Amino acid sequence: MAEKTPIQGGNPGWAGELGEFAHLKEEDVRGSAYVGQRPVEGIAAGGINAYPYQLEERHPERPLFEGPYRERLNKILERYPDKQGALLPALNLAQEIHGYLTPEDMAVVARELELSPAYVRGVATFYTMYNRRPVGRYFIQVCTNVACNLCGGDEVFDAFCDATGTEPGQISSDGLFTVMEAECLGACGFPTAVQINDRYYENVNAEEVPTILESLRERAQGTDVGSVVGPSVPDAIRKTVEIASGNGAHGGHD
Amino acid sequence: MAYPYRHPKETRILSEAFGDPSARTLEGWKKRGGYKALEAALNMTPEEVVGVIKESGLRGRGGAGFPTGVKWSFFKDDGKPHYFLINADESEPGAFKDRELMRWTPHQVIEGAMIGAHAIRAQHVYIYIRGEFFEPAQILARAIEECYAAGIAGKNVMGTGRTIDVTLHLGAGAYICGEETALMNSLEGRRGQPRIKPPYPAVSGAFGQPTNINNVETVCAVPHIVNNGGAWYKTFGTEKSPGTKLFNVSGHVVRRGNFEFPLGFSLKELIYDVCGGIRDGRKLKAVIPGGSSVPILSADEIDIALDYESVAAAGTMLGTASIIVMDDATCMVKQVRRMVDFYAHESCGQCTPCREGTAWLAKILRRIETGQGSEADLDALLDIGKNMTGTTICVLSDSAAAPTASSIKKFRDEYLSHIRDGVCNARAVAAGANA
Repeated sequence: MAEKTPIQGGNPGWAGELGEFAHLKEEDVRGSAYVGQRPVEGIAAGGINAYPYQLEERHPERPLFEGPYRERLNKILERYPDKQGALLPALNLAQEIHGYLTPEDMAVVARELELSPAYVRGVATFYTMYNRRPVGRYFIQVCTNVACNLCGGDEVFDAFCDATGTEPGQISSDGLFTVMEAECLGACGFPTAVQINDRYYENVNAEEVPTILESLRERAQGTDVGSVVGPSVPDAIRKTVEIASGNGAHGGHD
Repeated sequence: MAYPYRHPKETRILSEAFGDPSARTLEGWKKRGGYKALEAALNMTPEEVVGVIKESGLRGRGGAGFPTGVKWSFFKDDGKPHYFLINADESEPGAFKDRELMRWTPHQVIEGAMIGAHAIRAQHVYIYIRGEFFEPAQILARAIEECYAAGIAGKNVMGTGRTIDVTLHLGAGAYICGEETALMNSLEGRRGQPRIKPPYPAVSGAFGQPTNINNVETVCAVPHIVNNGGAWYKTFGTEKSPGTKLFNVSGHVVRRGNFEFPLGFSLKELIYDVCGGIRDGRKLKAVIPGGSSVPILSADEIDIALDYESVAAAGTMLGTASIIVMDDATCMVKQVRRMVDFYAHESCGQCTPCREGTAWLAKILRRIETGQGSEADLDALLDIGKNMTGTTICVLSDSAAAPTASSIKKFRDEYLSHIRDGVCNARAVAAGANA
């Protein structure tokens, strides 16, 4: 192999073979306050759909697909001609268990479906509904797309952010709320449409926002688990979730 | 006002059961004559079923308007597994018809899908529903359970020995999965990126097999056509656009909602009579007739008939008949920017003109909206839009360019007021006109 010569002139960004910045640590570059959150800018950027730059953690591998979840996964697998077809339902199931997906969860899904972890991550990051960070117990998505926007979607969104005291994508200090701007929820005739966990709230206006949040706070005091995702969902809710995620008792695939 | 509002002028065929929860159950649906069409279709050969649909002239309701009978006639008895997909990934801003169809009449969707599956010799129906539609999915899933329990779906469909499985598949939040080949990729557990055609789905679609895909509203019309005959269906609508259609109206009208009319119904009458005119006594400014991806009509262009041909002649598209109405105080720059933001967010990133183009359109529009733009920006927008049209695998890119270009053409003054004065003059102009 020819001897490597430093690149002269043409590439001013070239930092040299060893890197002239090699002595700098992450915090020298980003500042010590940096915790790995991407800046929020533009529409629905950052927030729960972005990976944190992984400076600190590897998540411990958590149990997925045990007991009833194993049965449900097996049922899902029967319905597709190949294992890869079950990827989205399997990721839905994994998110239902923990509320969000860590790279390690995706690796478990990959192992189950005989895919590579990188492939699964590539697919999971394509879709907005897979949360790559934890979210509040009530995950509030406000539609601000054109039909809702004409009728005050922006004000409703701001009202939710103000009333919960959060920036988009953050979890409120009481752990109850995460507010996100959503793209069209397909309920344009009933503006503003707001999705809170699995439920649609229609015809919401900014004045109603405190009342809605108050009712959610009250529900949080009781047995209500809020999210349909998460480990402590009562059986009654669980059953409807199973049905809705296509996991009912109906037949398999030949 | 109680929903669903029913206007006396409507011709309700698909939406007849809207507002009646009993129609959601198998028993209630059978009382309304449900599954008779499926039984009749199963006693016909697939070719006969296709013949009836061809005769009816039914066209796809997902936006493109392709004749459904012709689509179904591509499938031959070739021994391969065929798949019948239902596109329930309704995400076009402005569209909310499929959600209502699934919420109120889940069995209508399943019956139509199963007739279609029989017609193309498919053994498996996948209903691809967007992940946010939790409630419709729940209702559909219950209906599917009922069908399995009653022997309507599964191994021995209504005692005929045919196997037709029905599976509900939830998406996970991606507008682009409403594009048919992206939907197939998503169903296969891939990123929802559109595929290059050919091969067309009828040759190699989902899982590499011959696949048919129809919109929810299209298959909902099928049981009625089988029951009453193709000639009956042709009595509604125009010669080239037969049948009825759900018009989903949103925005600044008094009554928003789904209204069913024969194709060819007047847009003006729809807005001013059926929907009760513009809210708060304001004046009409603009109408988007087919979901956010089609060119915008200004107030003086709305005297048209709502069928595929007439709307196309007016320089726009009927699309999903999702009519977004804007009053005279609406800031067009802001609304167009919001639509383009959406396309920038939803671009799958495969094709450069779309990935880069949508982001740049959004950036420049945002600049103009906040008063930082220049007049050269308008030419830049048009130029970028031109390069985004017809240059990509799917039409998402064109969809972002269409409202931008048409709004600059029709509301140039408003753009100029943002650029020159740094403020939006829409409200002031409206106040002056109303004074």
